[in-house]
Amino acid sequence: MEGRKRKNHTARFLIASFLGLLIFSIIAFSGLGIYMTRMSHSAFHEIGQIYMAGMSEQIASHFESVIKLRFNQVHALVSVVPSDGRDQEELYSELVYRARARDFGYLALCSSDGNFETLYGEFIQPLNPEPFVEALVRGEQRVAIGEDAEGKEVVLFGVDADYPMLDGSPSTGLVAAVPLEYITDFLSLNKENQMLSFCVIRDDGSIVIDNSHIGFGDTSRYLPEMLEAYDHSEYSAQAFSDALQNDQTYASTIKVDGKEQKLYSIPLSNSEWNLISIMPYNRINGVMDTLNSQRTRFTVLACLSVLVCMILIFIGYFHMTNQQLLELEASRRTATEASKAKSEFLANMSHDIRTPMNAIVGMTAIATAHINDTEQVKGCLRKITLSSKQLLGLINDVLDMSKIESGKMTLTTENTSLIDLFEGVVSIMQPQVNSKKQSFDVHVDNITTENVWCDGVRLNQVLLNLLSNATKYTPEGGAIRLSLYEESSPKGENYARMHMVVKDNGIGMTQEFLKKIYDSYSRADENRIHKIEGAGLGMAITKYIVDAMEGAIDVSSEPNQGTEFHLTFDFEKAPAREVDMVLPAWNMLVVDDDEFLCRSTMDTLKTFGIRAEWTLSGEKAIELAVARHKRGDDYQIILLDWKLPGINGIQVARELRRHLGKEIPILLISAYDWSEFETEAREAGIDGFISKPLFKSTLFYNLRKFMGLEKTQSQAQEQTAELTGRRILLAEDNEINWEVASELLSELGPEVEWAEDGQICLEKFEKSPAGYYDLIFMDIRMPHMTGYEAAQAIRKSSHPDAASIPIIAMSADAFSEDIQRCLDCGMNGHVAKPIDLAEITKVLEKALK
Amino acid sequence: MNLQECYEKFGGDYDGVMGRLRREQLVRKLLYKFLDDKNFELFEASMQRQEYDEALRAVHTLKGVCQNLSFGQLYESSSRITLALKEKDYGAAAELAPQLAADYGRVMQAIAEYQSSVEE
Repeated sequence: MEGRKRKNHTARFLIASFLGLLIFSIIAFSGLGIYMTRMSHSAFHEIGQIYMAGMSEQIASHFESVIKLRFNQVHALVSVVPSDGRDQEELYSELVYRARARDFGYLALCSSDGNFETLYGEFIQPLNPEPFVEALVRGEQRVAIGEDAEGKEVVLFGVDADYPMLDGSPSTGLVAAVPLEYITDFLSLNKENQMLSFCVIRDDGSIVIDNSHIGFGDTSRYLPEMLEAYDHSEYSAQAFSDALQNDQTYASTIKVDGKEQKLYSIPLSNSEWNLISIMPYNRINGVMDTLNSQRTRFTVLACLSVLVCMILIFIGYFHMTNQQLLELEASRRTATEASKAKSEFLANMSHDIRTPMNAIVGMTAIATAHINDTEQVKGCLRKITLSSKQLLGLINDVLDMSKIESGKMTLTTENTSLIDLFEGVVSIMQPQVNSKKQSFDVHVDNITTENVWCDGVRLNQVLLNLLSNATKYTPEGGAIRLSLYEESSPKGENYARMHMVVKDNGIGMTQEFLKKIYDSYSRADENRIHKIEGAGLGMAITKYIVDAMEGAIDVSSEPNQGTEFHLTFDFEKAPAREVDMVLPAWNMLVVDDDEFLCRSTMDTLKTFGIRAEWTLSGEKAIELAVARHKRGDDYQIILLDWKLPGINGIQVARELRRHLGKEIPILLISAYDWSEFETEAREAGIDGFISKPLFKSTLFYNLRKFMGLEKTQSQAQEQTAELTGRRILLAEDNEINWEVASELLSELGPEVEWAEDGQICLEKFEKSPAGYYDLIFMDIRMPHMTGYEAAQAIRKSSHPDAASIPIIAMSADAFSEDIQRCLDCGMNGHVAKPIDLAEITKVLEKALK
Repeated sequence: MNLQECYEKFGGDYDGVMGRLRREQLVRKLLYKFLDDKNFELFEASMQRQEYDEALRAVHTLKGVCQNLSFGQLYESSSRITLALKEKDYGAAAELAPQLAADYGRVMQAIAEYQSSVEE
């Protein structure tokens, strides 16, 4: 519910921010587009204006030069034809001839009152004679538009000239003309497909040369006023007229039929004319619009791509969020399922616990009721024992599982003999298998590596679990087979690949069950096996241990055909170390109700060099120990089984402590996890625990540990190996000192011989074969012969080792002069009393190097 | 009475001896043996006979045993006499002898008490 709320909230937030971003980007991009359009628009305006000004100026100067050329021609005409002293007829014909030569289509003289006398060509009159004539009268040159009788327009060039008129009066100017086309063609004013359209108007605004492309039509009107009729925001007729009057340029924009047109006016010299250029904007606009539309398209495209990216990201994010929520949901469901499985397990467990508990309670009641019927009580007790075992197994499994689940189960890798381990497993399984009359084959083939580094106890647990499952799920008379074989390991030469196979021909498992065989708290919940005890944790524990050992477990099974478990491990090879397993010759008592275990333990202990005794019951053990205690010859270690007939191990320990005091180490042997009774055991005086089965290595290392040899072991590891089999001669007159020294030395493994004084020491040495003694410890003050004398005598003797055998002084005198005297007498070193193992080890190390 | 109390009683160093010999059993065995040790008697007899070399050897051996068994006070007194005899200062040795006897007696008595308490 909350998840959904959060989901909605997230979705709303995402959608809102997405929409916000969308709107923002649309606004940003359109703002950018509009701004850019404006900017380019004004830029184009500017470009247009510059272009038009340039063009107009060019045309104006062109026009000027054309006009000037014509004026020069007329001036030249006047200057080459003098007016004086000539016959009028001859003068005129001369003028006409020269004018024709200069391609003037018309020539006339103009009187000061505006009277035109045509010398050749059609009669022509300026359209607006007054300013023209006035200019000539003033002696200026002038250009103007005129009209012949047919209405054809011509351009008039008037210059000051003083020729006689027909009536004899002097003329005020000579006027020559060319057709208007001459000018327009020359200026290319009205060609098709031009960017610009031109027309020429006078200073007062009246049109001189019209342009059909512009099409103002009525030339009699004034342009500034005409233009006012168009849509004009910028344009002002007044400003235009002023500019025309003052011979200034003028630029503006007008709109014709909704299309923008650029207007530019520039005055033309030598005339009252102005060149007007008009450029329709749509030409430039076309380019600009293309640009604009392209830019708009790209902007929209960019906007869209950004949006698409964002949508993709948004969708991706949304998807991820959803995925997370789904995962959350899934893990929640898993947790629920797990807790459900646990509750189911608890329900099953309470059934499983209740069954043996009921048996115990019931049997106890029956036994109490028939307390005098020994046979019946025995039967009850047997059943109680059975049920207790079941219960204990169950509890151990649960404890293991809880260790695994809390991550507290760790492996203790130690040098383990696989052969011993298998022997142990087999001896444990034997009774179970026998009781169901099953056949049990053990095959150990092809093993070259007997010792490997692994957690033997856990590996043992795995094998026992698989084997006990095999016996449990195999009917009476079935066959169980355990095999071990070795292969070279892919991990390298230092590793060995071990295969262990547990096979039975029992009831087998279905494929569905195989899938969840390693799940905690699962059990093939079928009626046929309902009566078989177990918590359903064994396989989970097994799987966990195998995984922790970096091994593999495979299972193949067929219902009613049998099951095969195949374990594969890559173990690091360990050195075989049988030879190292030697302990001091302690007196030891082993108490266990299993005679077979006692006997095999005896054998093992004997190989360590321990003198051991055994007994089957706690009561007997107490008797034996107390008797020895009275003799002052106590056991040095007592091994107690936890479960004993009659009083149990802890009670025995308590009793022993009461009689013997606290110094003798008592160790408890147990096949079970002792954490549940550890506190009680410690309180009863138990010093430590050894787990069953009692492998050789288990015994050796535990005994060594509990007897305090572990510490010196690390210090004197080399020496232990070296000193074993060595012989040391110890000269000491005092029995106590001798005992102390020999006791401490014996922990390092050598054989120690006693010489009671210097004399005996010398004799023993001289009688010994060469190389018999490895070292001599020498007390200094001894009767008959002191240590000094003995050392000197040994060095002087004829014995082959006389010079080489190390002699170490062992004295209460630790003054430097004493030490010096020892060295002077041929001794190699000095150990001061009291004797300390660490110091002896050090000195021996030096002397025997 | 346990071993530690016994050591405390005659002024010995229980932790020291356990540190070296590690097992109470061994220490106990050696203590019992000490009951039979004749070096002190040898020392007294030699002193009386003025056989100082023999006395020195005996008290020196006693000193060695004391060291091995961490008999603090007895070691001190035996050590002083050893030194005196080595320097042939027999008068000083004779003066120190009663102290040695007292310390020795305390040790012997403590061990005897301990033994009887164990055997009970």
